[in-house]
Amino acid sequence: MPERRWETGAWVVGLAVNRAGTHAAAALGDGTVRLLDLADPDGGPRALPVHAGACLTVAPDLDDRGFLTGGDDGRLCRIVPGSSGDAAVEPLAEVKGRWIEHVDAEPQAGLRAFAAGRQVTLLDRAGRPACDPLDHPSTVGGLAFAPKGKRLAVAHYGGVSLWWTKAPEAPVLLDWKGSHLGVLWHPAGTHVMTAMQEAELHGWRLKDKAHMRMSGYAAKVRSFAWAARGRWLATAGAEEVVCWPFFGGGPWDKAPLELPGPGSAVITAVAPHPTDPVLAAGRDDGMIFVTPLDGTAPLPLAGRGGSAVSALAWTGNGRSLLAGTEDGRLSWITPAR
Amino acid sequence: MTAIPVTVLTGYLGAGKTTLLNRILSEPHGKRYAVIVNEFGEIGIDNDLVVGADEEVFEMNNGCICCTVRGDLIRIIGGLIKRKGDLDGILIETTGLADPAPVAQTFFVDPDVAERTRLDGVVTVVDSRHVTQRLEDSHEALEQVAFADVILLNKTDLVDAGELASVEARLRSLNPFARIVRTERCAAPLDAVLGIGGFDLKRVLEMEPDFLTEADHEHDQSVTSVSLREERPLDPVRFDRWFRTLIQTRGTDLLRYKGILAFSGASRPTVVQGVHMLADSGNTLSWREGQSRASRFVLIGRDLDAEALAAGFAACAAS
Ligand SMILES: [Zn+2]
Ligand SMILES: [Zn+2]
Repeated sequence: MPERRWETGAWVVGLAVNRAGTHAAAALGDGTVRLLDLADPDGGPRALPVHAGACLTVAPDLDDRGFLTGGDDGRLCRIVPGSSGDAAVEPLAEVKGRWIEHVDAEPQAGLRAFAAGRQVTLLDRAGRPACDPLDHPSTVGGLAFAPKGKRLAVAHYGGVSLWWTKAPEAPVLLDWKGSHLGVLWHPAGTHVMTAMQEAELHGWRLKDKAHMRMSGYAAKVRSFAWAARGRWLATAGAEEVVCWPFFGGGPWDKAPLELPGPGSAVITAVAPHPTDPVLAAGRDDGMIFVTPLDGTAPLPLAGRGGSAVSALAWTGNGRSLLAGTEDGRLSWITPAR
Repeated sequence: MTAIPVTVLTGYLGAGKTTLLNRILSEPHGKRYAVIVNEFGEIGIDNDLVVGADEEVFEMNNGCICCTVRGDLIRIIGGLIKRKGDLDGILIETTGLADPAPVAQTFFVDPDVAERTRLDGVVTVVDSRHVTQRLEDSHEALEQVAFADVILLNKTDLVDAGELASVEARLRSLNPFARIVRTERCAAPLDAVLGIGGFDLKRVLEMEPDFLTEADHEHDQSVTSVSLREERPLDPVRFDRWFRTLIQTRGTDLLRYKGILAFSGASRPTVVQGVHMLADSGNTLSWREGQSRASRFVLIGRDLDAEALAAGFAACAAS
């Protein structure tokens, strides 16, 4: 099993697998994207120069093959892996003097969204603006399409703005004082969760705007994701993978599940398996492990050493796990099944 | 991971901050700086004034830097540190209306920022001709001076020698820590402004001459500095109790403080410094040959009661 690893020498800011599951893309702090052909277990990552400065975000694009990246240079780019190991990089938008730190794409709605400063722009399938830019009271800290893309959540100082993507006029504000740095929709579209500047999460149940406030973390919650089709919200930021229950009236008045790793160190990234009830987690000591949701023993996938795990992503079929660290280790792990 | 040095440039509108920034950026130093500019409403800094091809300018236009923008500052620095090894420093130019304390505190409060950056210093530019008036009518101007590691006493060509001396004495009474550099058109040598280690514990002793400067206690002014000195070694428990009570009860009025303390039984001096309620201490220094082992503590703050502080400090002496 194996872990194959490469040293890229630059911060792995983000990882994404395209919708076809054929390629993985790592966004790096040196402005390059490393593209891995998942059908070629002997090949290594190809470095594509994409952004001037740092590459700040990466996500799968609308179609099966492509990726979207945003960077320091204010450019939004589309990357399309070619059949013979080559790849095309097409700039889709440019906002001078701004960072593009947040992107998302939703195939059913046929929309892409990217943030530059306080503004979010929606692009259609052809790459044209779908409406006027959406304005926010402060710099955008995160954005996410609701499942099916009818709504878009944008996190900023003081809360989250919810826009209807077909007619984005006045957003609904979910307010909570403080800086919100990441946002996530429940897969059923019923809850919106944010990670805050402080070491805590905030959330709202949409039907009545009931608040959730989850604190007690040792560090900022830089990574959070839904596990088991939205039954659990898995979170980084503590020495255990903390999973909040979203069933049976939870998470209110319910204790979270705390899944410890082997030994102790702060969890910096979580990635629930796409089909099985297990989670992958990475820590600030570089260790990567999988842990079953039933609380049975965790299994290390990569040992400690090096710097914090900064990005994790499973392929859609759950056969491969991609991982990256702050000091530039890029790993392709295929856990034995 | 090496920490990126951060310099905060502050000063009232018109004092010459932008001139200084341009000077830093256009000097042939071969270094790479990211510049964070805080734009405040309509009196923002014109981007065109910031020169230098290798520098990036990031604007924070969410309002005054010292309020909601702390989150923004953390976010921007979070983005900058991902470009590993690429930056020689970060320069933050604050609006003339900002209170610098929350900016400085960001570098201690946020764990990610604290781990990856180091606040090198606060540089305050003042206009020789207008600063005295500003200090009378503006709380922020007072705080900018009180907070400085370096004060660029600028536009010295516009005042006569006597006036300059009295302005300098006034600045010195407000802030005995700062190095005062007289300039025309901000023509200060770069090493007087960058790489000064102003907030660095290890450098406190090197500022010792200023540390011993006799401060005027102007009781008619709300912001003053008080210098304390104790020849007898201090009892660590007593000091801790006194100091803790002080920052709990007076923290918001304490703008800055620094101390070099000799505790009984300790072979090294302990350095204490802080901003408002945030205190930091360490004992990485050694006493120098022939150096007096007296404890010294200087506080800058609002409505400080010099006699009470002196009595409290003296009572920390080991019996
Ligand atoms: Zn303010
Ligand atoms: Zn203040």
